[in-house]
Amino acid sequence: MSSVSRDELGVVSPYVAPSPGVESELAVLWSSKLGVAPVGVHDDFFELGGDSLLAADLLMEMYDALGVEVDAAVLFLTPTIADLVAALGAGSRADLP
Amino acid sequence: MSPLPAGDLAGTDLDGVDLADPRLYGRGEPHAVWQALRDHRPVHWQPVAGRGGFWAVTRYADAEQVLTDHATFTSTRGVFLNMLGRDEPASDQQFAASDPPRHGRIRRPVQRELTVRAVARHTESLRADIVRLLAPALDGGTFDLTEVTGALPMAVLGPLLGIPAADWPRLARLVGMSVAEADPGFVLPEGVEATLRRAHRELFGYLLNLVQAHRREHRGDLVDVLAGTTVDGSPLSAGAVVANCYSLLLGASAAIPHVPNGALLELIRTGRYAAWADRPELLESGIEEALRWTAPARHFLRCATRDTRIGGVPVAAGDAVVVWIGAANRDERIFPDPHVFDLSRSPNRHLSFGDGQHYCVGAPIARLALRIFFTELFARFASFELTGEVEYVESNWLGGIKRMPVRATLR
Repeated sequence: MSSVSRDELGVVSPYVAPSPGVESELAVLWSSKLGVAPVGVHDDFFELGGDSLLAADLLMEMYDALGVEVDAAVLFLTPTIADLVAALGAGSRADLP
Repeated sequence: MSPLPAGDLAGTDLDGVDLADPRLYGRGEPHAVWQALRDHRPVHWQPVAGRGGFWAVTRYADAEQVLTDHATFTSTRGVFLNMLGRDEPASDQQFAASDPPRHGRIRRPVQRELTVRAVARHTESLRADIVRLLAPALDGGTFDLTEVTGALPMAVLGPLLGIPAADWPRLARLVGMSVAEADPGFVLPEGVEATLRRAHRELFGYLLNLVQAHRREHRGDLVDVLAGTTVDGSPLSAGAVVANCYSLLLGASAAIPHVPNGALLELIRTGRYAAWADRPELLESGIEEALRWTAPARHFLRCATRDTRIGGVPVAAGDAVVVWIGAANRDERIFPDPHVFDLSRSPNRHLSFGDGQHYCVGAPIARLALRIFFTELFARFASFELTGEVEYVESNWLGGIKRMPVRATLR
């Protein structure tokens, strides 16, 4: 799939490469979903061209690919890979209905 | 000539009016403006700074044409004014933002769950909830009617989506921010755009968690129905499921409370509460009149797919068209004495639930809820009086009252 570079989108955060492991897996998933490369760990999902429907699809794929769940509010309100990974570590499920 | 509720027709400057400005609606439906538009410019171009503009349609016949001819007037570019000039991400994913035949394929399974027969099983729990909601009014003191009616959507939609009652206050606030983003009661200090974005993302986050919880454990409700829906061989994506739940939530939460609020305000003002409350045979026709009168969903947006004409006015392919329901519902060409709340009005083909393929999917359960609400209200209270200032929602979409202090006299 042809990708847009993050520079063309004018992403404000400086590029921080994902570290190996979960961050890299997520970056690959985001890239394929958004058609943007590369994806840095502090990049905002919505700034990269994502919308709410795509975010929901992405989160569901994350659940399936990684076998973990995070509170969806994390992706919608602090939409970066770094925040998601932090939430995965915390593993809090208290807010889920 | 029938009386207009507010404003001086002769003084209405149509060129100076901004129909997209939420402040226009801060004192209720701008009937003087609608009257002037219906009479002099029934298909009126309204510019919107930075976002082009739209054709404002105010006559009933034109409104009906736009709402029923889905081939010429598509919903896929968004159906609310706040989507004007932007891409609609839910296009073809949410049935409200789809055209036939795809629209029907997404909607039909939901519709089956919302027929009169399907919702009948909720009648008694709905009645119990409504009786509980009315309890604070029983002590004879002043209360805010909007707080009582504001809980109706939860009673109606909570069981259908599996949303726990405890979550409702937060959801109600987020829905308010989504549909009345400029209202001083909802707008965030960061501004209107930030309010919409925040509300939208929080609601999507909440609903996605809800969808996920349903995936772990099926509950046989609307969320499960949507998650199990396949369209042209593919299941709806998680995003599409959430977008449809979002649309149901907005429809129910925004609209249902404002029918009793607006109807009771008019009946109190004109001293005709008893004329309805004491006449059970007028329950059904009175509810239809309350719907016509209040039109809580003020407008629907469409986009012309080809060059066409509305009421003789040429409209170009790609132009946005906005149908103003509160205006069409008071068109004297269709409704005799349109500014009179006529409890036995018949026929009463108001457009408050829309028209055509997109006619409100929740209409049967909304009517059921209103029937129970008014029945229980009339059974308990002999009269109402206003005890303070009424405040209206500042929104170009939500036609409603946000504060209405009243005192009730028990039977």
